[in-house]
Amino acid sequence: MSDPTAATPPSAFVRTRHKRKLSNYLLDKKLQLRYVLIVTILSGIIAGALGFMIYQQRRAASLSIEKDLQALTDKDTTQSELQEQISGTLASGDHALVYKMVGVGIGLVVVLTLYLLIMTHKVAGPLFKVSMYFDKMAVGKLGKVTALRQGDMLQDFYASFQEMHEAVRKRAQDDLASMDAALETIRRSGTHPAGVSPPAIDHADYRGEARGRLEDALDGLATHLANRKAALVDFPPRA
Amino acid sequence: MRPQPQPGSQASNYKRSWRNLLINKSYQLKFTLMMVGVSTVLMVGLGVWVMKVANETTEVSIASVRGTPCVAIPSIGDDELDEAPTDDPAAATSGTRSKPSPSPSPSPSPSPTPAPAEAVGSAGSAGSAGSVTDAGSDDRHHGVVMEESTMELVPEPAPAIIVPPDYGHKVVSHWSCERAIAAKIDDLESGRRRILFVLIGTGLLLVLGLAAYGIKMTHKVAGPLFKVGLYLQKMRDGRFDKVWNLRKGDQLVDFYEHFKLAHAGVVQMQKDDISRMKAVIAAAETAGAGEHATVQELRDLIARKEKALE
Repeated sequence: MSDPTAATPPSAFVRTRHKRKLSNYLLDKKLQLRYVLIVTILSGIIAGALGFMIYQQRRAASLSIEKDLQALTDKDTTQSELQEQISGTLASGDHALVYKMVGVGIGLVVVLTLYLLIMTHKVAGPLFKVSMYFDKMAVGKLGKVTALRQGDMLQDFYASFQEMHEAVRKRAQDDLASMDAALETIRRSGTHPAGVSPPAIDHADYRGEARGRLEDALDGLATHLANRKAALVDFPPRA
Repeated sequence: MRPQPQPGSQASNYKRSWRNLLINKSYQLKFTLMMVGVSTVLMVGLGVWVMKVANETTEVSIASVRGTPCVAIPSIGDDELDEAPTDDPAAATSGTRSKPSPSPSPSPSPSPTPAPAEAVGSAGSAGSAGSVTDAGSDDRHHGVVMEESTMELVPEPAPAIIVPPDYGHKVVSHWSCERAIAAKIDDLESGRRRILFVLIGTGLLLVLGLAAYGIKMTHKVAGPLFKVGLYLQKMRDGRFDKVWNLRKGDQLVDFYEHFKLAHAGVVQMQKDDISRMKAVIAAAETAGAGEHATVQELRDLIARKEKALE
């Protein structure tokens, strides 16, 4: 799954810790594994090619020595045991070299994989966090956002997001305050808003229908504002 | 700054350009350099180890090859030299036989000591003309005076040079063997050089390849981030216009979907505000309070919000 937020249940917003965890290192598998696989495969191929060449060189040396020993033992059969012993040593040395190369190759791949996982995690982490805030914004929640962790990348982008979030939140709060003030003003003036004479309203709205509709509209606006206020409350702190 | 698509145009019109590869220098260069740096360090470590093994192996191989015995070239006339050693020390040292003088000495110098008595008798047979001085009958010592003498030296015949029947074959075998050894040593050295060159070549290839790949891949991440960044600036300034799709091949498609949902959520908030305020204004107008200052403020607020959504 490549969706960073889909992998996390809503309860993740109230996680107890805010530190890096091994299990969270693959936040965005698609993004991270693509980097890791390509780089490690490339390095593995290069290391394998070098390993093959050095094995070839080593094997050529061993064969040369074995050939000389064979020539020696052809003349002196008493040396055959020594020849076998040396040949065995050379063969085991060649095998040891192969094992060493495989070990170095695996070590190289493991180190590169871990390093790239950490590096890509430092990119995927901020994106994951911003995605969570985006999800909250999608449902109208505009609580305060917190800073990134130390060492995370995309700090500039995150700063830009924070500015935007703060501006939208501020504007929403201002709008809320304006609408709240307008609501209170209209309610306070009741059926006699300033500049409007009561007889005029009474005359126009002798059955009270317009007044009722205005009251309903004001109630609707009040409910809407209450919801908006609730959405602007800061996100619950991490316990 | 990258141009933004105009309404109605296709998002796919915006192609990648190498000039825009480094959209987010800080992120792209940092990520790429760290990736390349670590890979380089690992490859240099591997290369040092590989060259160490290659050097050791090549030295062993060369020593082994140098120890290969070749057929020796036999020296011509060695047997004769052994059987008839010469008095000439230089010739003996050099192993070459001194050539006898083709002509005898024309006038050997006379011996400084008088010839022995036996030679006296033979002096005449040598054909020499001489006189015997009879100094006296009672004188026991006779003096011989050689007035003239000749001696003919017969030059020694040149020894026959015996060439072994397989001499040519052995010479060819010897030099073929020497050439084969030299060629093998060259092969081993060139193998070592090849490993070094391949090592340097692959190292450079890795560095350049990873750098190019890193910048290209980070560009695919930085591109959507750049685009989202532009929208974030607009949203910060209170403008919530239409959000366009990403380019083909861009990454962070899921992240961009989250952003679009957030953008849509904020737009919906504005629309909800507008609809609620419009309802209040309509009701106020019906109630005859349409000209109230507060209602006018609500109208202004609606106008600002509607402009933000354009």
